[in-house]
Amino acid sequence: MTGTARREDALVEAREVTREYRLKGDLIQAVRGISLEIQAGDFLAIVGPSGSGKSTLLHLLGAVDTPTDGTIYLDGTDVTSMSDPQRARFRLEHVGLVFQRFHLLPMLTATENVELPMAEAGVSRRDRRNRAVELLERVGLANRMRHRPGEISGGQRQRVAVARALANRPSLLLADEPTGELDQATSGEMLELFQSLNEDGTSIAVATHDLTLAAGARKRLTLVDGRIRE
Amino acid sequence: MLILRYSARELLRHPIRSGLAILGVAVACAMLLDMLMLGGGLNSSFESLLTTAGYELRVAPAGTLPFDTGATISGLQDVRDGMQSLEEIDGVAPVLGANLLLEAAGSPRVFVLGVDPADQGIYRLELGGEPGSAAPGETGIVIDRELAGLGLAIGDTMTLRAPGSFADARSRSGRFMVVGVADFLYSSVGERSAAVSIGTLAAITGQADQASLMMVRLTRGANQEYVVGRLRTDFPGLEIASVGQLVERAAQRLSYFRQLAVILGTVSLIVTTLLIGTIMAISINDRYGTIAALRAIGISRRSLVAAFALESLLLSLAAAAIGLALGLLVAGRLESILSDFPGLPAAIRFFVLEPTRVALAATGVITAGVLAALVPATRAMNAPIATTLHREEP
Repeated sequence: MTGTARREDALVEAREVTREYRLKGDLIQAVRGISLEIQAGDFLAIVGPSGSGKSTLLHLLGAVDTPTDGTIYLDGTDVTSMSDPQRARFRLEHVGLVFQRFHLLPMLTATENVELPMAEAGVSRRDRRNRAVELLERVGLANRMRHRPGEISGGQRQRVAVARALANRPSLLLADEPTGELDQATSGEMLELFQSLNEDGTSIAVATHDLTLAAGARKRLTLVDGRIRE
Repeated sequence: MLILRYSARELLRHPIRSGLAILGVAVACAMLLDMLMLGGGLNSSFESLLTTAGYELRVAPAGTLPFDTGATISGLQDVRDGMQSLEEIDGVAPVLGANLLLEAAGSPRVFVLGVDPADQGIYRLELGGEPGSAAPGETGIVIDRELAGLGLAIGDTMTLRAPGSFADARSRSGRFMVVGVADFLYSSVGERSAAVSIGTLAAITGQADQASLMMVRLTRGANQEYVVGRLRTDFPGLEIASVGQLVERAAQRLSYFRQLAVILGTVSLIVTTLLIGTIMAISINDRYGTIAALRAIGISRRSLVAAFALESLLLSLAAAAIGLALGLLVAGRLESILSDFPGLPAAIRFFVLEPTRVALAATGVITAGVLAALVPATRAMNAPIATTLHREEP
């Protein structure tokens, strides 16, 4: 993987990161000169009002998007200088992503959905099947492995999505509004799952509106108008 | 691979949409196959018909090829002897054609061919023997299945007479004994044909030492072009053509069939491309958010494009399988209609089934289908992940 190693102690290091884009001719500054660090083992909640840049920052930290300016190191690697295919491979191996709308493949079973990133990474069929079973058991879905997304509840779908995100043992789990489509009780269960994973050593960053979820994180970072509010 | 399994199952997620797309492309594939069969079928069928009897050259009065019973070659014996004196020529089979009337209810017309029973390429015996095999005192005739259908059988006798159009032969007729039943290679559908020895027919029609056509068989390894050139020099009043030249002439006359086939075949491919392109565009558009998510979690563009290409391939394969079967059915039906075309030998086939044409139709449809998926797939791959992630999906 290309990039320059910078800091050994920080899992993520963002330096003066800015993300601008044009919308109908107007220049939008979604993220403005943000610098931050996430240490291994952190559970960080990124909060802020709608349009404050939470999702954009999360995408930048996960190498899903590239900043207009600034540098991001993830696992000691500069992800901002990578090509598209390099970043895709990097995400596959180093980043786990959970989305508000789950984005599971409806025609695959829970196990197959979890296996998908491992298949892409070239893990053997037997190993990825064992790993998928292990992960689904870990997120409490031992009895839903052969179910398709349409046959399970929203909370269970999000658990499958979490299991999928953990499939390739990522350094960082990023979740963008993971409770956005869930009711309060299920959101609470999701928080417990994140806390449990964090206690097991998984580094997590969550962009959320959900105050309960944010309160359950070890660290919080508030964004307003694309800037960190101290 | 798992992502490919996903794309295969995705087709089953919308069975009506996939089914209708498959049917639409199948119809286009059927049309493409039929046009490919029609495009080359007439030519190959005509060539096969001309070569089936084993005579490589045709000789006729100038301007009468492929066959015209109105004009004849005079001095047949001299011409035949002259040709046979060439060492490249293995045999010369003269043919005299005339329409005679059968003395029976309704005086049905019979197309009678005068041949040299020892050297002819006009018919294939199915039952009995050659015209020369009649009992002593009888004149033998070989009839076709149409005449046999009138109740005539081997051993029966029949009388044929020249119609009034033969001014000098008005009163001439002949009584024949049926000695064989044959398949007449150049008869058209419903035509009644019979063959007698050329001398016998000439006596009835008053065309002694004449022939309507001569079929020339070359020795093995003979240079066809040389022989054609030599015969044209030696017999300037005759039209001499090889089978290849005749096929070429026929192809020129039938070029509008080929043009029609090319145009309709191209339309079929365009329809296939548009149909599959539209279905894949709708299908991919429905999944923009999921595609962005898959890209976000690290699934490569190559894997995703391969998945969409597979979806398209499966659609095209199913459509091609149905389309080829449908095309063969339609071709069979059209063939039965077109084979009644007046004046054409019944052995001529408009739609000739050749493995290469079937393969070409299937390959065309499948290739067009897969290529059609690449445009919407590439668009989806180039969409920005971050903004596309939040796109609503049905």
